[in-house]
Order: sequence, then C-alpha cells, then structure tokens
Amino acid sequence: MKQIDEGEIIGRVLAGDREAFADLVDAYKGPVFRLAFRMTGSARDADDLSQEIFLRAFQSLARFRPGERFFPWLYTVGLNVIRNHLRKGRAVPEDGSVKGVPETADPREDPADAAAGRERSRRIQGYLLRLPPAVREILILRFYEGMSFEDIAGLTGESLSGAKMKAYRGLEKIRVMMSEDGFLDDESRG
Amino acid sequence: MKKRDREDIFGEPDGGDPRGEALAGIARMMSEETAPEPPAGLEERVMARIRSFRPSPWRVLGEALLKPREVSFDPIRALRAPVSGQECSFYFIMVGIFYAVLGAILTAGLHGLGALQGAPGWVRLQPPIAIVTAGCMVAIGLYLLKDGKLALRTARIGVLVYLGFALLNGVFVSLEWNVPVSAYVSLVSALIGLPTGFFLIRTLQNCGKRYA
Repeated sequence: MKQIDEGEIIGRVLAGDREAFADLVDAYKGPVFRLAFRMTGSARDADDLSQEIFLRAFQSLARFRPGERFFPWLYTVGLNVIRNHLRKGRAVPEDGSVKGVPETADPREDPADAAAGRERSRRIQGYLLRLPPAVREILILRFYEGMSFEDIAGLTGESLSGAKMKAYRGLEKIRVMMSEDGFLDDESRG
Repeated sequence: MKKRDREDIFGEPDGGDPRGEALAGIARMMSEETAPEPPAGLEERVMARIRSFRPSPWRVLGEALLKPREVSFDPIRALRAPVSGQECSFYFIMVGIFYAVLGAILTAGLHGLGALQGAPGWVRLQPPIAIVTAGCMVAIGLYLLKDGKLALRTARIGVLVYLGFALLNGVFVSLEWNVPVSAYVSLVSALIGLPTGFFLIRTLQNCGKRYA
C-alpha cells in the first residue's frame, strides 16, 4: 500500500475533485474486499459490496471529521453495508459453502502444499460462515486483520469485554465444528 | 474466562489447558491465512460509479446540515480577537432564539393578563416585534454561515437597525403607555437591546478583520 496523505485527498474530494478518491480506493480496496469476502463467502458479493462500500463512503465523506483516522471510519461504513446486505436475506448459505474463491498470493512454492493450503482456507472460511455475523466480524477483524480488541470494540460498538467474549465463543464454536468434521485429525495427519 | 482474558484472546501464550491450546491453534491458523486479492478492475468499477453519482437535492441539503462544524462559544474572546463567520453566525442565532422565547412569553403573558385590551397599539405590537426580530437575527445568522464580505455588510446594517429600533421602542412604549410599569419596559428594552447590539457590532468588526 503506498503512502498517501488521506487528509489532503479527502480535502480535494470535498472540494469537488472526484478523481482524487481513486487514491483512497487504491489504498483500501484490499482490506475492504477481504472484509466483504470473509463476511459473505462469495467473491461476487464481495465485489458488489466493495463497490457499494466505497460509494457509500464517498457519499458520506462530508461527515468525516478532520483529524479522525480514515481507515477505521471506512471499516465502520463497510460493516454497516455488509450487515444490511446480510439482514436483507442475502445471507450466506447455511452449510457455509464458499462461492467463487478469489485469487490469493500464496507464498508456497510446492503446488501440493499450495492446494492443501487453499483447501484449509476454504474449510476455515466455511466454519466462519456458519457463525452469527456479529461473532464472525469480530473474529475476522481480530485474526485476519490483526486489529486490537480496543479498535474492534470501537468499530463494532461492542464493549471491550463483550468483543473478547464473542471472539472466545466464536473460536470455541469453530473448534466444535472442526472436531465434528474431523478437521483437526486431517490437519494432524497432513 | 480470565487468565488475563485468555491472554487477550490468544495473542498467545495461554499454555497448559488443552482446549485453550486448541483455540489458540485455530486463532493462529486464521492469522496465517493468505489474504484473498481483490478482483482486477475493482478500482475502475468503483470510480465509474462515483463519476456517474448524482446526489438528490434532499441528500445535498442533508449533507449540508449534517456537515461537522466547529463552533466555539467564547464571547469574551469574540470582543477582542478575530472570529470566524461561523462563530459570528452562532451569536446571531442565539440572539434570535432569545427573542423567539421572549416573543412567546410576551404573547402568552399579555394575553393571560388581559393587558392587550387596555394597552395602546405600540405595546400590543411588542410580541410580534420580538418574533420578527428573532426571525431577522436567525436569517442574518444563517447568511453569515457563508462567511462572506456581503454577508458581513448585511449583518452590520441589520445590527444598526436593531440598535436604533431598540432605543426607539423603549421611548415609544414610555410615551404611549402612561402607566408606571412602562418605565420598566423601556429600561428592559434598552438594557437588553443596547449591550446585545454593541456586542454583535464588535463581533462583526472582529470577523471583518479576517478580510482586512
């Protein structure tokens, strides 16, 4: 991600230079797309939702407070768009199946390793999709995006202890699903 | 849960408890996942939608009203140092709100006391005068939000008219209403109107310094 002066770019966009918004899209399309994909399990939905999130952010940019960090603000917009999408019944399949897997920059050179890694990703993503969205988003922000619980609490509106509790319960549910599926045995064999 | 909230939810190490270790392992697996890449052309698709986006008039109005503004309230500083048009606007709107409340009280009070029947014409006009003053002050305040030279000039004329009117109003009430209470009405009108008017004039002068 290249270094950008967010404040300056936002100032230009608010002054009417729409093209300047492209720098923000370029800088944050990765995290926004990843969040949408992890939450929905569908590459196509994630593509649509990413567009919607950026459009919503553009429309609401006048409400962005100078001095605030842009990335958490964008994430809050993103979570609201995704929650609405999930609430409108366009929810993920109950079996947690993943539709359309996007490209990943896999560092493993051995094709067999890479294939096993992809399969593991697909299965973990499947377990994640079987969790309630409020739990899912906390696990995604914590373990995929590496955010602190303080930041997660600020983004999701949970209390700090509530966010930790949901993360713990979410992991516990995944553990149960994994042992029912024999995933952990497969992993120890692999 | 505890144990320092399970080591801040498996920022590791928890240790000892097999279930905790299994959960930490799952957390580790998720953290080590390779990140999916956004599809090619996503940026272009977003920008195409942004270029073609046309906000509705309601949305434009809503955004203008909801836009965060910094308004400080420091009347003492406003008498000494340059102030922004927004701060100036704030003082005008506050004066407007004061006159709106005064107008409402006068309307209710004069009706309730039955004073309107016996009072001369000019006294009966006091409630509408207060309400019109409120409307003018709020209108000037909103105009000042534009923070322009013309808005400042208009506001200055408005305040001079207001000052003159505050004085004349007190005199007229005393002349027309030949009862002891009229002296108090004149005094109150002058005591409210003159300091308020001078304060607004001074604030406008300090606001004008920004253009000097």
